[in-house]
Amino acid sequence: MRAIQILVDGFAISSLYSLAAVGFTLIFGVSGVLNLAHGGIMVVAALVGWLAAGELGLGTYAGTLVGVLAGLATAYATYLVVVRPIKRSRAIRPEETEIFVLTGTLLWGIMIQVGMAYLFTDNPVTIRPLISGVVSIFGVRTPANEILIAVLAWAVIGLLWLLVNRTRTGKALLGASMNPRGVTLLGYELTQLYLVAWGIYGVLAGIAGVLLASFLGVSTTNAGQLTASAFSIVVLGGLGSVSGSLIAAYVVGYLETATAYLIAPTLRPIPSLILLVLVVYVRPQGFLGRR
Amino acid sequence: MSGAVRLQVGELAKRFGGVVAVKNMSFDLKAGEIVGLIGPNGSGKSTVMSLIMGIARANSGTIKLDGVDISGWPAHRIARSGVSIVFQHSRPLQRQTVLENVKLALLPDSLLRLATEASVGERAREIAERVGLGGVLHRHPWTLPFADLRRMELAKAVARDPKVVLIDEPFAGLTPTEIKVFSDLIRTLRDEGRAVLLVDHSVKSVVALADRVIAMYLGERIAEGSADEVMQNETVRRVYIGGKIEAVERKSAGAGQAPTLLQLDAVEVFYGKAKALDRVDLRVRQDEFVSIVGLNGAGKTTLFNAISGLVPYRGAIRFGERDLRSQTAASIARGGVVHCPETRELFVHMSVRENLDLGGGHLSKSERQRQLDWVFDLFPILEQRQAQAARTLSGGEQQMLALGRALMMQPKLLILDEPTLGLAPVILGQLSKAIERLRQERSLTLLLAEQNVTFALPHSDRVYVLDHGRITWQGDPVRFAEEMSTGYL
Amino acid sequence: MAFLRSRLFWIAAAVVVVAALLPFWVSIYLLSVLTAAYYFGVFAMAWDLLFGFAGEVNFGPTFLIGLGAYTAAILNSTAGLPIPVCVVAGALAAVAGGILLAVPALRLRGPYFGLVTLVAVLLLQNFVVIFASVTGGEIGMTVPDVLSIDASVNYWYALAFLVVCAALLFGLSRSAVGLILQASGQDAVEAAALGFNVTKHKVAAFCVSALFSGTAGAMLIFYMGTASVDTVVDIAIGVQIIIAAVLGGRRTILGAAFGAVFLIVANEFLRPLGQLNTFVVAAIALAVILFFPEGLLGYALHRGERE
Repeated sequence: MRAIQILVDGFAISSLYSLAAVGFTLIFGVSGVLNLAHGGIMVVAALVGWLAAGELGLGTYAGTLVGVLAGLATAYATYLVVVRPIKRSRAIRPEETEIFVLTGTLLWGIMIQVGMAYLFTDNPVTIRPLISGVVSIFGVRTPANEILIAVLAWAVIGLLWLLVNRTRTGKALLGASMNPRGVTLLGYELTQLYLVAWGIYGVLAGIAGVLLASFLGVSTTNAGQLTASAFSIVVLGGLGSVSGSLIAAYVVGYLETATAYLIAPTLRPIPSLILLVLVVYVRPQGFLGRR
Repeated sequence: MSGAVRLQVGELAKRFGGVVAVKNMSFDLKAGEIVGLIGPNGSGKSTVMSLIMGIARANSGTIKLDGVDISGWPAHRIARSGVSIVFQHSRPLQRQTVLENVKLALLPDSLLRLATEASVGERAREIAERVGLGGVLHRHPWTLPFADLRRMELAKAVARDPKVVLIDEPFAGLTPTEIKVFSDLIRTLRDEGRAVLLVDHSVKSVVALADRVIAMYLGERIAEGSADEVMQNETVRRVYIGGKIEAVERKSAGAGQAPTLLQLDAVEVFYGKAKALDRVDLRVRQDEFVSIVGLNGAGKTTLFNAISGLVPYRGAIRFGERDLRSQTAASIARGGVVHCPETRELFVHMSVRENLDLGGGHLSKSERQRQLDWVFDLFPILEQRQAQAARTLSGGEQQMLALGRALMMQPKLLILDEPTLGLAPVILGQLSKAIERLRQERSLTLLLAEQNVTFALPHSDRVYVLDHGRITWQGDPVRFAEEMSTGYL
Repeated sequence: MAFLRSRLFWIAAAVVVVAALLPFWVSIYLLSVLTAAYYFGVFAMAWDLLFGFAGEVNFGPTFLIGLGAYTAAILNSTAGLPIPVCVVAGALAAVAGGILLAVPALRLRGPYFGLVTLVAVLLLQNFVVIFASVTGGEIGMTVPDVLSIDASVNYWYALAFLVVCAALLFGLSRSAVGLILQASGQDAVEAAALGFNVTKHKVAAFCVSALFSGTAGAMLIFYMGTASVDTVVDIAIGVQIIIAAVLGGRRTILGAAFGAVFLIVANEFLRPLGQLNTFVVAAIALAVILFFPEGLLGYALHRGERE
């Protein structure tokens, strides 16, 4: 029974992790940015979604949609207010741009976290499940919503795959992550590609945020933790590798779930931390990284 | 004249991944002599220097300094043993003054010494004055002109009285007057009894300065001897200019009166302080094939980057009626000026087909298919390998892919930068045929930059010679063969 | 020495004199804020030495601080050792931690090394929580000894400590070793080509940064009388340290101290805004990054040069 429970819960959590991680890695691959405001974007989506669904009375479905749009808007704000100005700034030397972007997104993330807590609440919020009911999987009673979340996460990832591999823009994005000069010489405007990349990222983070809210609940205090786990997953999988992030998300998700069930819930983050240390020492480019 | 053997390099070999950078390189360096290392791009010259200095580690071979094997030693230990290097790009500490930068070179490698001795300051001042920096001792590097930055690098390198001085590209970015002054400085080093090894793209300047010249190609030594001997060497000439320069009669269809497609007026490009292009005037007419020949470092790539909008420039560049300055690089490419760069810039993890499709991304599906069929017809090997990842292709195949991808964009003006770089002669033949077909089958204007003159001439209606950022000669191929056979190198 | 005559020295000296006299006309509340700020200043300066001079970004300075703090606290409360001994022990523990961090730093670049420093903090945090019986876990622990009960005396201890550390660190940054460190951080290849063992110098930089961080952490414990994760280990504290150093101006050492004081005082000043004070401070810091990337002190110092 335990084993099945771990399998099922682990799967759901891992799917959510994978959504968030894939977005994080996409932005790093295309834009070269490690966005430390990542958790903040997810939190905004969750809170706005909750607000729209509950207080504003739009109902669960519309509310979720509004939440995702809020995530998208926040992602664009992050790019246009913080990341792009720093990258274009002539006062900062090129070697230092990375740390400035990191610090800048960190500060922005803090602003989002505190701002949201002030405007709304810092208590955990939940969005009512999109579908109700309980399903029995191999004898384990699981909320149907949990299944839906996993399915939705995979559907989104599948759509993303289609986008990147089958559309012209998607391929140009992929090209940009490999060789920005190459795509420019082929006539694609990098500035437009970046806007598309951040847009996709915003949607991904937004969906991850609202789904997390309907599964476990989200509070503004989670923002840092969410960024940290996305960061670790992405490094484990290999910075810039989407498939690596997917695999790592499941490794981390299952490690955490197993630890919580079999050892102690408080020790949840430890095994993945240890794994992270090992990977960084032994194989810094992660499972599948190529940079 | 030259004295004891200071440095002995024996059968040095180095590979980076699958690429062989240096193989079986042996030579001696004596005290009181200047040895010049020449060779086209990719011949391994800079790698040899890195290996001697300990910045890279050789796979096999020995490097002996006064009889002691230093290969495998860390760089700082080699530096303390009497070898110093002047890097190609100046590397000053920006927040320190010139004097402090030179003082740094004099400091002992100690964790505990907090104060510098007074004598260090004095010595630093002496050294700086000797290279001509006496007037700018208390200025910061970012206020100095380019040549002074290079002087500072030289000062740092000689601060601790080295036995061996390695100089990488001393003349890059300098004006002819500055080159003369620097050459004199380097001669002084030799006269002080040091062993000097220098590497530069400007064959003329190296040859004027060096007591001995070693020519490299594809990682190996191909000739050694006095400057004259090496420059007359058959292999060396073939490697640099591709063979004998022969007059080729071109039957161009009414080229004289076609409208001007591309025009450059007084174009200048600066990389930081160094002037890479100096008042370049250029014109290409519709349907013309124009070549720009020149050695590495002459500025051909910089010129093309300026046209493509990838680097800022002064002066005017016009394509048809439009001034290209107002456009982004991507829109210049979409407008028909397609640049196939020296580095190819392929999407190495994507397949051949995906690379080509991205090139044709702005066309309708049917147009793209037609263009693709044409490219496959030009380069059948690409059709064969279309599912393979680009990085698994050979050098020649990658060049064909780069060219094919550029052609997918239906260029009005194709800018081709050094397509023959690093390719085997067999591939050159295939490329040559492909370019000939381009001329016949499509209305295409071509601007070609090449070091390999033999490759470029048969495809040229007109030739420009670019040397040190300046156009030094222009005319038709026949005149080029007559006038430049001897003087080019 | 030219420095003793320079403008910077006289301004700093004036500031120190004014600061020393503050207890005579300022409230105990403000004194306690400044006391904490001074220790924070040492944290920030130690960070700047590592970043500005050795070129290493430490995202988890609280790893070193926490090691120093908890070692001192545990020794004092379990073994009853006197304060100076505990502080020294804390410093040594931090140096050991510094060496541990230096090892991956030498082999990893950029974001990867930053990640190691973050993970180090998370591990320490979890460690403290797991061994709650000794460390007091999330609630924290108290120490029997304190530096003093008098607010003014504590203030002077902190000020003196800050001045001594500032003098030492600033002196180091301007010394021959400091020059070599800068070269190692800015351009390791060139430094090696000039004959410097970059590895040796970077490890030394880590040890020095750790020494000051750990000592300051231990001193802070004996000022507050308590040690807890929230005050000396939490990543949020580390973030504030980085902000302070960047605000003040990297590579100026003294700028980091000013930045720290500014940050702590601003936080207190804005306390009436409730939670929003963090927002305002973060917004100001972001604005500084966007418009004055050289930092406040850096901007002030270099403005003269650029003209």
